[in-house]
Amino acid sequence: MKTGDAELISLARQGDSAAFGQLVGRYYDFIYRVAFRWCGRQADAEDVAQDVCVRLARAIESYRGGSAFTTWLYSMTLNAARDLRRRSVREEMRNDAYRAHALSAASVEPAETHDPADELWQAVRQLSDKQRDAVLLVYGEELSHARAADVMGISEATVSWHIHEAKKRLKTLMRAAGEV
Amino acid sequence: MTDDHTLGRLAKLDIPAPRPAARESAVAAAMHAFAQEKVQHQTQGIAAQPRLTHRILNLWGKIMDRKLLSTSALAGILALPLAGYTAFYLMKENPIALESAPVAATPAYAPEPVPVPAPEPAVESDAGVAAAYDMSQMQQEVRRQAQASEASGVMDKRERKMVAQQPAVAPVSALQDVVVAEETSSDRVQSFDTNPLKVVAESPVSTFSIDSDTASYAYVRRALKEGQLPQPDTVRVEEMINYFPYDWKGPDSAATPFNTTVTVMPTPWNNGTKLLHVAIKGYDVKPVEQPKANLVFLIDVSGSMNEPDKLPLLRAAMRMLVNKLQPGDTVSIVTYAGEAGTVLEPTKVSDKAKILNAVEALTPGGSTAGEAGIREAYRLAQSSFVKGGVNRIMLATDGDFNVGQTDDGSLTRLVEEKRDSGVFLSVLGFGRGNLNDQMMQALAQNGNGTAAYIDTLQEAEKVLVEDASSTLFPIAKDVKIQVEFNPNTVSEYRLIGYETRALAREDFNNDAVDAGEIGSGHAVTAIYEITPKGSPAEQVDALRYGKAEADSEVGNGEFAFVKLRYKQPDGDVSKLITTPVTQANEVASFDAAGTDQRFSVAVAAFGQKLRHASEVRNFSFDQIEKMASSARGDDPFGYRTEFLSLVRLADAMGGSKAQ
Repeated sequence: MKTGDAELISLARQGDSAAFGQLVGRYYDFIYRVAFRWCGRQADAEDVAQDVCVRLARAIESYRGGSAFTTWLYSMTLNAARDLRRRSVREEMRNDAYRAHALSAASVEPAETHDPADELWQAVRQLSDKQRDAVLLVYGEELSHARAADVMGISEATVSWHIHEAKKRLKTLMRAAGEV
Repeated sequence: MTDDHTLGRLAKLDIPAPRPAARESAVAAAMHAFAQEKVQHQTQGIAAQPRLTHRILNLWGKIMDRKLLSTSALAGILALPLAGYTAFYLMKENPIALESAPVAATPAYAPEPVPVPAPEPAVESDAGVAAAYDMSQMQQEVRRQAQASEASGVMDKRERKMVAQQPAVAPVSALQDVVVAEETSSDRVQSFDTNPLKVVAESPVSTFSIDSDTASYAYVRRALKEGQLPQPDTVRVEEMINYFPYDWKGPDSAATPFNTTVTVMPTPWNNGTKLLHVAIKGYDVKPVEQPKANLVFLIDVSGSMNEPDKLPLLRAAMRMLVNKLQPGDTVSIVTYAGEAGTVLEPTKVSDKAKILNAVEALTPGGSTAGEAGIREAYRLAQSSFVKGGVNRIMLATDGDFNVGQTDDGSLTRLVEEKRDSGVFLSVLGFGRGNLNDQMMQALAQNGNGTAAYIDTLQEAEKVLVEDASSTLFPIAKDVKIQVEFNPNTVSEYRLIGYETRALAREDFNNDAVDAGEIGSGHAVTAIYEITPKGSPAEQVDALRYGKAEADSEVGNGEFAFVKLRYKQPDGDVSKLITTPVTQANEVASFDAAGTDQRFSVAVAAFGQKLRHASEVRNFSFDQIEKMASSARGDDPFGYRTEFLSLVRLADAMGGSKAQ
């Protein structure tokens, strides 16, 4: 019989590494999925997922069970994804600079294209961070506005506002892309 | 239409499954972090600090929140710099023309305008990752072939094709406004502050342990060649200076293990100050007297070592070394990954084939259990201990000792315990991204050894083979230097580099305090910038109620008094060598100083510049290049020529603007 999440979490918090390993194994796919929605690239999503797993090692002790474990994971994953993007912006600046030196012709790889939903996702990824998080959680992960509010640490009304603004912005973006 | 129905499509995104390798590596990294977290909690409150360099070691836990990059991500990130690096390598190191002209006739740098190539067609991510691997392999391949073609002078067709695919190098003038961001990487590096200016009247004595490590230079070189300015904390100026072979005058007999050459010269970057240049050369053990060697290789074969610049490079290096050893020497190999294991019991070099077979059979896999590995290596080293010979463990790793492992501090304690057994420990670092430079330094310094960073076969050859006689055959240990300045002639001073090697004044005479070792024929250089009394460059005002003048009868006119303490490799009681620095040591102009002195000063200036030291802010890379170029000397191995290309590279990347 599978050990329950709550039990694993409590064992891990007491320093049981086997329990922690099991927990990470169990939630890796969840973390990866959220990360992929956010950044849309397998390699990046794997990076983010690994980052979250490592952060989890340190953070598990401070998880008090006040909110659902997945809610907590959502916010950690979104934070990690943002961090990665910030880093890769620096990375890119460096590469740009270096390209000037080496005139290396390679360009940055575009996001992978997989299915029709992907074009929409590409538009979503152009939204501001808050709007992007809100759309990802509400439409991608199909959470209620209330749970999305928990994850993002803001009020439900603010989530609704971000969704509203995101829709307006998406309309413009999709029209520009020739959809609609 | 962006209504709820349309947006509902968002939930149906087709998400490619993560690769199993990425998943495994994430779980392993998390488990490692978890174990570290636990250790940190358990070891809180233990604070044994027998030596100054120890105090930084418990930073390790805090640095753990650095991201552990997965191999695939690393490959992705490195794809661009590697491509550029390959191009750079071809242009600078091995000038191969696009035509099949003999190499010798080709200029190193072709200034004719090269059209900017159009961007390559976009590739899918997976292909991109694969391309990155290919690129690094190709780079190796090209390098190997390039070496071969150097002999023949002509390239074959396939090679030409490869070269033709390489991007061209832009004219330097186009780069003037480019400022390259400093690298941010997950390598763990100890941070330290640059030595401050000291006032002679207040602290007339400067004490430090010598350092014959060279890891920092190789690390800096790799960063620059990959198109990044090195992180300032990876730049240890003394290691950069000591990387180069210098022809200081050595002692005549083994009875005095080294000779000290002191030169005082004007400072190139400051008109008002002088440089006090202390050069020490160890006695070169003649082959006849070369003691028997008992070498234990402790090799990290964890999964991460499976990269062209790691295990395969090490294998090649070991083959070179084995060919250089004497038949009576012994070699053993211990590997560590999931668990430590002995691959080769102590074997005489006369049985060369057996050793080489063991080297070939090394394969990467598993995670890292370093502590068990170190214990096993010490056990083997002791089992075939050569009395009066060289007993050394060579630890080769790309970073971590993790699974079941504790923090750097406890590893260091283990190494310290074993040090008294007479077995020395050297650390060879490989690869990038996860390199634990801090641990390498800590282990090598506490285990009576050296730390070197190996990025190319050329460097492996330098460290293991050419330097073999110096790193393998210690002629003195616990070598400390103390310089006392004369307040009548010198008002201020600043030690360039050696920040991580500082000792307390009283440690100089305390034989229980550990310090660096010196190998056969090894040269160690230390440079002080001193401000003569009354110079307009004095930065600190004299005190109105100054102390009484020092006894002017003693050492009248002397600049300083250099004291050196050392122990024989197997001795416990230190001996003292003293050298007064007088006007006779002074040269009138910088150009009058010896070639090697001038070159070492150029390296010192470069290192300080990469550390953003304010003293050299107005001294340009251009001036450094001129200084080094005129002091290039014979340069039989091309190290100094390579240094020049690094200076140019740092300049092109806007190294001075980053300050």
